[in-house]
Amino acid sequence: MPETAMNAGQVSGFYMPELAKVYRTCRKETDIIIEAGMHSGRPLGHMPGQFVQVSVFGYGEVPISICSSPTRTPDRFELCVRPVGGVTKALYNKNSEDWIGIRGPFGRGFPVDLTKGKDILVVAGGIGIAPLRSLINYIMDKREEYGRLIIVYGAKTPDLILFTSDIEQWENQPDAEVYLTVDEADNSWNGRTGVVTLPIREIEIDPARTAAMVVGPPVMYRFVAMELLKKDMDPDNIFFSLERHFKCGIGKCGHCQLNDLYVCHDGPTFRYSDLLARTEAIEAWAPEKDQD
Amino acid sequence: MQSFVLSSEQLNVLFETLMAKMPMMGPKQRSDQPGFYHFDWLKSPGELVLHYTTTTIPPKKAFFPPVETMFSFKLGDPPELTHIIEDTPFVLAGVHPCDLAAIKALDDAYSVPPADKRWLANRRRAIIIGSDCLPDEYCFCTSMNTADARLPCDLFLTPIDRGWLCEVHTDAGKNVLKNIQKDTAQKKDIEDASQWRLQKAEKISTKLNINFEAFAKILEAGGLTPIWKEIADRCYSCGSCNTTCPTCFCFNKYDEFDTTLTSGIRKRVWDSCQLPEFAMVAGEHNFRGERWERVKHRWHRKFLYLFRQFKRPYCTGCGRCSRACTADINMADVINQLAAASEKERSHA
Repeated sequence: MPETAMNAGQVSGFYMPELAKVYRTCRKETDIIIEAGMHSGRPLGHMPGQFVQVSVFGYGEVPISICSSPTRTPDRFELCVRPVGGVTKALYNKNSEDWIGIRGPFGRGFPVDLTKGKDILVVAGGIGIAPLRSLINYIMDKREEYGRLIIVYGAKTPDLILFTSDIEQWENQPDAEVYLTVDEADNSWNGRTGVVTLPIREIEIDPARTAAMVVGPPVMYRFVAMELLKKDMDPDNIFFSLERHFKCGIGKCGHCQLNDLYVCHDGPTFRYSDLLARTEAIEAWAPEKDQD
Repeated sequence: MQSFVLSSEQLNVLFETLMAKMPMMGPKQRSDQPGFYHFDWLKSPGELVLHYTTTTIPPKKAFFPPVETMFSFKLGDPPELTHIIEDTPFVLAGVHPCDLAAIKALDDAYSVPPADKRWLANRRRAIIIGSDCLPDEYCFCTSMNTADARLPCDLFLTPIDRGWLCEVHTDAGKNVLKNIQKDTAQKKDIEDASQWRLQKAEKISTKLNINFEAFAKILEAGGLTPIWKEIADRCYSCGSCNTTCPTCFCFNKYDEFDTTLTSGIRKRVWDSCQLPEFAMVAGEHNFRGERWERVKHRWHRKFLYLFRQFKRPYCTGCGRCSRACTADINMADVINQLAAASEKERSHA
């Protein structure tokens, strides 16, 4: 997408946001989904796995991954936000007709072209489902271009499960396999309990024709990697999308530096094989030589 | 390269002529701390001090201020955003070779696409006049190949018997000198300047015992954790090293409302990788939560990651971080300590 990249670059180099309007919000106790569109009318032009820098003027700017698929509403996009800090709390209070600022899209998304024809195993933990929902719906809309679609999604509790209506649709698709699990069940829950690695263990995959796309909290990656390696998957075919507190989005501010890489610009999607030799990729994960 | 000779009076005329046209930033004595210097906007050419050891804060602040306003906003339907960037030309004078090398390093880092256009826009506004320096015991520019750095200056001054040798490095520099009385440099003047620089280099006692490539390889090999921890045990994570570094370029940004609560500004501010929250993400996961990891990151970034990317370490040997460190952690000492430890480890293996 050269035009989009240029467009984003032109404003991003000065760190000037573009105005965007909130069209619709869906607020739950723990999160909000905001549907917005650029004031200029330009399509955001993102790919699944990319992120934008979202401004609430007076509060600041935060990186948020785009959770809608570019195949669905080209002139609108969706952001899923959990109110944890000052800016995200301000975003949580946004309503339709409110204004926000957008820079981007930034970063390298999921390798949707590279993995065409492959079986796709999606592993989501917590809010990691947000960028993966963009990917899943993208694949759903180009279903014939991919093999099996296996979705593993773990949330902490049943009420923290995001995108429930999407999940219902995915479960009703004959060519998608959905494994939903929660860490802590309550009385309303009669599905699976336990961490995401448990369903992964059950799934039979053909390691040679599978690509895994993994997004979750830092602690999740190493356990998922161990399970996938047990299934003889090649680290080249395992893709991790990493979270950092990007300030610029263009590899300058230094906050997302992962050894010699900038997560915002070189990632956020990385091959597991490219992370193996590096430290600081995943919490408390360092090669033996750097341990005590 | 052309060189001229300016007497002290002629140099003063040059600065007066320039200041009549545009603002000038240069080193001047701190009113609160005599004997200490800082880069600041000059009220008159007389305030400019060309014989100074170093400043606490490097001259990068002329292009990338410690705090700057990027844009203002006015809430409304729709909100109004006003991009804020200076466009008046200015002179940055009295920049030492090590600091010129640092400005070049930041030119390179900020030009990588997508470029930081704020830095580039500010750089385009400036005429840079470099000047030779008075080293102290913290300087180690001779080990960093920056003792004679010139780019990206327009003019460069070295004290000689007849006043100042003025090297012309760019067309902009040539234009500045156009109507200024000056002499053509003679062989003796050039020799004077060489002699001056030789004496300067001899005064530099701090030296690295290892070359850049060998040091990068040591860092790449990893390990040496006990050394990093030993250094980190003394570190307070105060960030003074980053704040005084001429090649550090990390930043943060924040919004401020004015008292109307309907308009405000977004600022960008220098940041420090030594502060605990620098690499923290939501849920308080911290990718460099331990102090030794942050200390190690600083050396790795300067001498491995950026060295590999730009073929030059992101350290100029200016010694500012060593001078500023409240725990006496010395940049050159740490490098030599790591080199020695690695050598020892290898001979035991």
